[in-house]
Amino acid sequence: MADRVERLTNLLAVLLETRVPLPLSSIADAMVGQYPDEEGPRRQAFERDKLALREIGVPIEMEVRVGDEYAGQTMYRIDRAAYELAELDLAPDEMRALQIAVATVRTDSQVGTDAMLKIGGVAGVSDRPAVSAVLPDRPELPIIRSAVAARAPVTFTYRGDVRTVEPWGVLLRGGFWYLVGHDRLRDAKRTFRVDRIEGKLAVGDGRSFERPADFDPRTAFPADPKQIGHATDDSVEATVQISALRAAAAERELGAERVIERHGDGSIDVSVPATNLDAFRSWVIGLVDHAVVIGPPEVREYVVEWLRGASSPSVAGADSAASR
Amino acid sequence: MSGRSSAGPRNAQDRLRRLLVMLPWLMEAGEVPLADVAERFGMTEAQVTKDLELVAMCGLPPYVDEMIDVFVDDGLVFVGVPRLFTRPLALSAPEGFALLAAARLAMELPGADPDGPLARGLAKLTAALGEAGIETGDDSTTGVAVDLHRPEWTDALIDAVASGSEVMVDYFSPSRDEVSQRRMVPRHVFTDAGNWYLLADDERSGQRRTFRIDRMERVETTGLAHPLDPNVQAPDAFFSDVDLPRATIRLLPRAQWIIDRYPIDSVEPVLVRRRPASSGAVDVTLPIASTRWFDRLLVRLGPDAEVLAPSGAARGGVELAQRILANYD
Repeated sequence: MADRVERLTNLLAVLLETRVPLPLSSIADAMVGQYPDEEGPRRQAFERDKLALREIGVPIEMEVRVGDEYAGQTMYRIDRAAYELAELDLAPDEMRALQIAVATVRTDSQVGTDAMLKIGGVAGVSDRPAVSAVLPDRPELPIIRSAVAARAPVTFTYRGDVRTVEPWGVLLRGGFWYLVGHDRLRDAKRTFRVDRIEGKLAVGDGRSFERPADFDPRTAFPADPKQIGHATDDSVEATVQISALRAAAAERELGAERVIERHGDGSIDVSVPATNLDAFRSWVIGLVDHAVVIGPPEVREYVVEWLRGASSPSVAGADSAASR
Repeated sequence: MSGRSSAGPRNAQDRLRRLLVMLPWLMEAGEVPLADVAERFGMTEAQVTKDLELVAMCGLPPYVDEMIDVFVDDGLVFVGVPRLFTRPLALSAPEGFALLAAARLAMELPGADPDGPLARGLAKLTAALGEAGIETGDDSTTGVAVDLHRPEWTDALIDAVASGSEVMVDYFSPSRDEVSQRRMVPRHVFTDAGNWYLLADDERSGQRRTFRIDRMERVETTGLAHPLDPNVQAPDAFFSDVDLPRATIRLLPRAQWIIDRYPIDSVEPVLVRRRPASSGAVDVTLPIASTRWFDRLLVRLGPDAEVLAPSGAARGGVELAQRILANYD
């Protein structure tokens, strides 16, 4: 029997060359002697080849014929326009820049390098940039991106719930990929961490939604959790004393304009938004004993109460223990 | 998938995938030394010859009336390809994504020129991979965006890497809770899992070490320059947390934001008589990257979290809360 690569190449050639979709019987006739004569094994071998071609990205079109001599049979062909790489017209410096980008970004897979070969770049780049980045790799991402491009909803399980989301985009932030889109069930914009998606993604029909014209995933959720205010206009500012050891770092994070007093021992008082108490508390505790809330009294009392709760083990988690 | 490894068996799919890239390239290039083909496609010369000779036998009248001509002679390859295979196969969805994501990420790195060749290449790529037949207006992101926030000093350190300049760094060490002065020669800057790191030759330890840039309080060049090291590589698997100890904690809904923020091994809804508890609590198992971090996390979560295992893991959080509380007396 012929080498499988030869058979696959011939199958590809036949399907690319034909102007009309072909049934398996005609395909097998054209590829004399390469498929078994018997119906069952022939179908089996062909299905395996079809799957192999699809897996390397060959778009095989199928249709079930009605109303002629082939009625009921499945017909196959490959649309050359979909098969061939679109002309990118990259200038040499653009090709090189893309190549450096692929070399600069480290992932677990070879896919980027393979893609560069296809578009005509070379595989390795010799000059190492002074800076590089690790790009987390998730199998869901290409599917989501294609769904974004096709305006097709995706359905998946997330924290035990089945969600159907109109995907608007994906965003890499803080080392994680997020899917941002419109959750149909909740009828609201939602963000999902891609690596928390459970099981397979199902992709629905294309062109079934419109993405907001001004959508940018980067502004889809606030960068600073302290700024996630409640739906109120009263903004609360708290005064926090930061010890000398962390003063410089805090000033860098918040900006010099938030420093309201500098003490002789090197510590500083800063003014910090505390409208969202949860986020504020989380930030203050992140500085452990290098930060003390000075005021206002209700914010200080809130943090003290929280710490009291956390410092008595019998209280911590008592609520959740009840759910056992 | 790799195709890089020249040894070992190659399956039919990978061989065909390579051929469909190789044939159009050879067609375009005319005569190419066999060694160059092998190097470019990460194969041995024998593998290249074998696969090319194989496709030379393909072609099927009457459907396909042109044969693929292949000559391998004197270490030179010449290929004549029927019009069938003159263009490479279109980028697959994963390949398209990989290129877009790499280019977008590189655009966010320090020093990227918003009007430079990468930006222009990315725009062409975006257009080619774009949204078939869908009006996109002036949207240029194709739904893939990258947001890299970088700490102060990052750009200065990248300059120091490029020039081999020695720097003096005030470095905050959370494990000792102190700031120390360290002299070092920056070698490489990289970002991984949301943080920025400097790989540098550290004078104090005499070793090449990795430092977190957001823990640097001050960076100053000393005026000394060292020879560049051409062989610097960023650490491959920087985060391998398989060896870290694990903890299991029960989280009420208000504490469940940590599931989206930190690496978590598993999330299990708490069941009461085989149904999810009305409290909405879940049990999560997570690596303890450092006990300091874990203690701090427990204090941040407060009464919304309960440590289930290992026993005694809750103690550090309690002690930390007491220590902070002492400041309020």
